[in-house]
Amino acid sequence: MKISKVVLLTAALMLCTAHLRAQVTIIANPGVSASSISKSELRSVFTGESLRLKDGSHVKPVLLKEGTAHAAFLSGDLSMSAVSLLVCWRQKVFSGEAVMPPTFSSEAEAVAYIVKTPGAIGYITATTPHEGVKVLVLK
Amino acid sequence: MQKCVLSVLVLAGASLAAAQSADEFSKLQFHGFATQALVATSHNNFLGIDSRNVSAGWTEAALNVNDEVTDKLRVGLQLHYMRLGMFGGDNVSVDWAMGDYRFRPELGVRAGRVKIRWGLYNDTQDYDPGYMWSLLPEPIYAVDWRATDLSQNGAEVYGRIEMGGRNALQYSVYYGGYTMATTDGLMESYKEDGVNFAAPPSGKTPGFDLRWATPVEGLTVGGSLMIYTASGNLQNGTYNQPASYWPAYYAQYKYKKVFASGQYARNIEYDVITVTAQAPEVDATDGRAWFAMGGYHFTSRLQAGAYYTHYLNAQGGDNSDPANYFRDSVASARFDFSENIYLKMEGHVMKGNGVGFYDADNPNGLASRTDALMAKLGFTF
Repeated sequence: MKISKVVLLTAALMLCTAHLRAQVTIIANPGVSASSISKSELRSVFTGESLRLKDGSHVKPVLLKEGTAHAAFLSGDLSMSAVSLLVCWRQKVFSGEAVMPPTFSSEAEAVAYIVKTPGAIGYITATTPHEGVKVLVLK
Repeated sequence: MQKCVLSVLVLAGASLAAAQSADEFSKLQFHGFATQALVATSHNNFLGIDSRNVSAGWTEAALNVNDEVTDKLRVGLQLHYMRLGMFGGDNVSVDWAMGDYRFRPELGVRAGRVKIRWGLYNDTQDYDPGYMWSLLPEPIYAVDWRATDLSQNGAEVYGRIEMGGRNALQYSVYYGGYTMATTDGLMESYKEDGVNFAAPPSGKTPGFDLRWATPVEGLTVGGSLMIYTASGNLQNGTYNQPASYWPAYYAQYKYKKVFASGQYARNIEYDVITVTAQAPEVDATDGRAWFAMGGYHFTSRLQAGAYYTHYLNAQGGDNSDPANYFRDSVASARFDFSENIYLKMEGHVMKGNGVGFYDADNPNGLASRTDALMAKLGFTF
């Protein structure tokens, strides 16, 4: 009996995790020529390692401060904590290499910024309205 | 070279002044941090701190402002405060102050007071919130000599060249000048060797760093070389340091929750000291140091790890003399209470006293072993 409960709980957790991951959609300014992006490219771009995609597109990451999409993106796509991501960027800021990427409290604000900013790339939940942006397929 | 720094400060000031509208001011970024450490040691006082009596004599803070004027042009400056026992005092120094123009990802130029890209961590070593460690490997990133090693007044050409797949080369080539800091451990070491400067010596710092982001995700390997000279007047003669060589070779692996790195560095230096009316005396140093470190993020807030570092002055003559070597075994943990506040705890078992120890605060002589405990509370934004 105990074993079946554990199995059920594990399955529920896995479904929840899968659900969280499925919610994240990668969006970009329509001027970005790439139509897809790999997880390693995502990690590279969103940690500031490289701001160029494999097809040559130059991109500018846009971050969210918090929320479901932010949590799912960090755990599912970047495999890092919110603190680790901030540390990554702050190290660049404090060594004089970069500025912090634009960071928004709401997904609507992020979408609005990405629509008007050439090269901008971000992440939102699939249900958030995102007219005027390009959806990148996650490879 | 001070004119160069001044020019950048003026440029930064002008840029800030030009940002008159609220929208433009909203683009300005301000960041900072502050840390307070508590250090306790056995046998010897360490890093110029009265650590045998449990000391809070290690405080740091920094504030920076950045303005991305255009997509390609950025200006900014960072002020840094440090008090480390008998070093640092209450001085606030300009950590960096520069203009950065990036023509394209493969080519950019920074000029002004610029961080020195050397080894894995030289340019980021004074950003405490960036590390799990309270103290980076002392033989290579000496916290008590940092005021001299961190930045130079000059220019840096840098870029990142994508080579397909995950392959990329990142380079930095620089040339500039520096002046030895008056209030750090380097100057104290000279003083304890009987070398008393009339004014801090200065010199040139050409160098480069080249690192390869390998096809293995998270794995970077690279090398650096800094060449530096120095000259100045002693109270009783002259001081000259012909080109000294400081090469480093390193590797780093950061992937998901795991991080590990290692570095080997050598420091070959000749100090020519000429006391007036006497023959020049040459003091040679051949410092060889390495470290290996690793850690793991156990939860989103807790990380822990360990490192070992080793130093030997191969010119010291007697490798068994504690004054010529230093070995440090370290275990460390960090807990982040939030995105802004963290606590670090660290233990050290040190053998030898080739780096980090001073006669001035160990007047009864140095023991060959020192154990240390450090706690550090930090705030960053």
